[in-house]
Amino acid sequence: MLQDLLTTHKSAFKDYTELRAQVNTTRRVSLVAGNMMANAQVSEGGVSARVYRGGTFGFASAASYTHEGVKNVLSAATDNAIFMDSHVKKGKPPLPGVKAGNQPLVTTPGADIPQSLLVEFAQAVDALVVEKYKNLSSRTVAANILDIEKLLVVSDGMDSHFYQPRSMIYVFMTAETADGVPVELMRSLGGFGRFDELFTNPALLTCELDMLYESLMKKREGVYAEAGLHKCILGSEMGGMLAHEAVGHTVEADIVLNGSVAAHNLNKQVASEMVSMVDFAHTALGKPCPLPVYVDDEGVQAEDAVLIENGILKAFMHSRDTARQFGVAPQGNARAFTYSDEPLIRMRNTAILPGRDKLEDMIASIDNGYYLVKTGNGQADSTGEFMFSVDEGYEIKNGKLGKAIRETTVSGVAFEMLKTVDMISDDMHWDSSGFCGKKQAMTTGMGGPALRCDINIGGK
Amino acid sequence: MKDIAAYAVEAMVKAGADKASCTVSSGRKDELNVETNNFSLLRTLFEDKLSLKAIKGGRKGTITVNKLDKESVNKAVEECITLTASATPDEAEDIAPMVENKNFNRLIGGSDMAQLFARSKELLETVADQYPQINLDLNSIFNNRKSVYANSNGAEFCDETEYYSLSTNFTAKEGEASSSFNYYYTMMDSLAMPFLDMGMQRSLIEDSVKSLKTRTIDDKFVGKIIVAPSCDDMVWYTILSCFLSNYALISDTSRWKDALGTVVADKKLTMCAAPLAPEIIAAERFSGDGFVSQDADFIRDGVLTSFALDLYGANKTGKPRTANTSFYNIEVAAGDTPLADMVKGIDKGILLNRFSGASPGPSGDISGVAKNSFLIENGQITDAISETMVSFNIVDILKNIPAISKERSANGVTLLPWCCFDGITVSGK
Repeated sequence: MLQDLLTTHKSAFKDYTELRAQVNTTRRVSLVAGNMMANAQVSEGGVSARVYRGGTFGFASAASYTHEGVKNVLSAATDNAIFMDSHVKKGKPPLPGVKAGNQPLVTTPGADIPQSLLVEFAQAVDALVVEKYKNLSSRTVAANILDIEKLLVVSDGMDSHFYQPRSMIYVFMTAETADGVPVELMRSLGGFGRFDELFTNPALLTCELDMLYESLMKKREGVYAEAGLHKCILGSEMGGMLAHEAVGHTVEADIVLNGSVAAHNLNKQVASEMVSMVDFAHTALGKPCPLPVYVDDEGVQAEDAVLIENGILKAFMHSRDTARQFGVAPQGNARAFTYSDEPLIRMRNTAILPGRDKLEDMIASIDNGYYLVKTGNGQADSTGEFMFSVDEGYEIKNGKLGKAIRETTVSGVAFEMLKTVDMISDDMHWDSSGFCGKKQAMTTGMGGPALRCDINIGGK
Repeated sequence: MKDIAAYAVEAMVKAGADKASCTVSSGRKDELNVETNNFSLLRTLFEDKLSLKAIKGGRKGTITVNKLDKESVNKAVEECITLTASATPDEAEDIAPMVENKNFNRLIGGSDMAQLFARSKELLETVADQYPQINLDLNSIFNNRKSVYANSNGAEFCDETEYYSLSTNFTAKEGEASSSFNYYYTMMDSLAMPFLDMGMQRSLIEDSVKSLKTRTIDDKFVGKIIVAPSCDDMVWYTILSCFLSNYALISDTSRWKDALGTVVADKKLTMCAAPLAPEIIAAERFSGDGFVSQDADFIRDGVLTSFALDLYGANKTGKPRTANTSFYNIEVAAGDTPLADMVKGIDKGILLNRFSGASPGPSGDISGVAKNSFLIENGQITDAISETMVSFNIVDILKNIPAISKERSANGVTLLPWCCFDGITVSGK
């Protein structure tokens, strides 16, 4: 666990200053067709300082987390702040103050997990896949741990100690179509927590793996989607991606300032009245979020950001700097991924809230369309035009699920597409397995229900 | 640093490793940040890295830490040896033989922060003057890095490198209209040239302004697209990840697994990884597994000549090792058709500047949205488009290349022409 070498340096702060010590530890085991391609451990840690002066920041980081190292990064960050202030001369006043205090650890780091545990678990899952699923042409099993621990001391705001363990198992299955073309599906399992607590018995994954195999067998008989605009059900796993990509990035205040269409839509109807969306800090609908955030890396106590309420765009996500520009209070969205990264405006646990419809009724309501179940990646745009992949989906014909479809992509303009949402399921799925990319990587949670909407689909 | 690398290798061998390698690097990065046309941050990173690989009884362990003090090195050595105990034995694990040890030096005289600031400011002011609709974010960076590789066969390399890089992200905004964002990355070994004149930077910014007003395509058609060099991930990196990589070959999912020496693309296509090309900046001089890097063809005149395999991948698959692991430094040979003539030859198609698409799977099926792109009608570039999707299978379209441009664009990472592909499904709303 990180020792506090920071607080004693607080007396040396002259301007607004953040001082952060952080260690990211990654363990990775990858079995590709049974071959151990990765058996790796990465530890990246150190200390960084960010100093604000006159409207710009200076930042410095170094690997050496000692009192000498802390002094050095403080000095280098201050020099950089002076360089910027003297060259740019913005002449802005100090950042407005926020609530002060101290946020202690909520989750405490436990004993180190031996690599052998990941290896043995991955091997057991791989053996299970080989034994049970006979029509595969290939498979990959990966076990990953990412532990992030941070100590933050700020000149103004909340000091904090933060620990976030994330443990994942990824299983890829590949099969060949009748004409020998490989098709693939993947499941990610796990999330917040220690590996030895989330993954106690490989056999407990059997149900998920059965579903993955069954879906793959359908996909290898799959057809191409018919390109164009269709009435679709976005499954609950797609709902989270929609929240993150289609809306979330568009309402990050730095993206808003850089030209996002959201700038002109605050307090306007941007979605059907059925749609509400929140970037949750640490607790959602009475339960802990997938990746809780209590204090951000600018020392702001994290609060939920209500982004869309009954279809009306209510707010953007902010850093302390953009919050001042917009005249609002920051809510704890400024986050940095590694010790050497500066805080950027990032989502935390972004979700569309569940509705009242039953998924089966939603599917039954469509004569000719698609049920889109799983996604892999996505991308937002300043125009609001989003894209995300569809790795698993099915035709809907006369209210019933039909053939599986091959990989494709869906797209739309968020604030137009969300107005077509006319049914929302009463369930919800959270996912925290991936990374969001925006200069730096970042772990985020995203959640959503199933939605009925009109959306553009790629295909033939 | 050579001492640290040698010490770590020796310590791993003493601790029981049959074979061991170590890469040590240390450097400094100074990064100027601009957010929405305003300077916002100067960031300095003092970076150290120690990467160890130990093989014991065919069992591999790798560990990376960012500390170089003796205590941290000793701890990393101990943990790396511990990792080997949990691994599965694999005869394909190996390290490079010692052939000829070398030192490389590509220093450019240290950082010139005043000039880096001046060039960045010049870019902001020029864009504000010539393209006032543009909102621009940028990171301009000076990088200094020294790396040492050593292994237990006696191989040892050292590389000292300095370079500048520029990353821009921009959107045109006028009233309530916004263009799609676009981005561009450039690496350079001097600050002699204005940033706006580098590679496709100016043309992409101009295209963003033109994209303030877009049109949607009402119908669906199968036709030609011209893929710009800025769109490097759509085709070239997909070929690498889906068909040529260690993963694709070892997982046995590559559709080209038995295609070495056969025709996989139109004969106009020659594609290689070219870390030594003069247009490529600060690329690898020795591979991560301990070989001196050479340029390497993947496809020559349409024939698959090499996969993208490192030493492990080669040993595992029984196929030849590729002459470098700098697979992102793609060079595609110029064609014989001027870009203007390529456009003239298309009745209905798209000039694609950016592709926002799904991560491709092993089938090679790809679909996504055409961004910052333009319709080609009757041999002329006409309107900017939005809400337009393109779908294709990459195995199929590589055999359907009507033309490759004479012109190429270099950004310090790649050297690429404009390439026309036929048989693409284009669909609007």
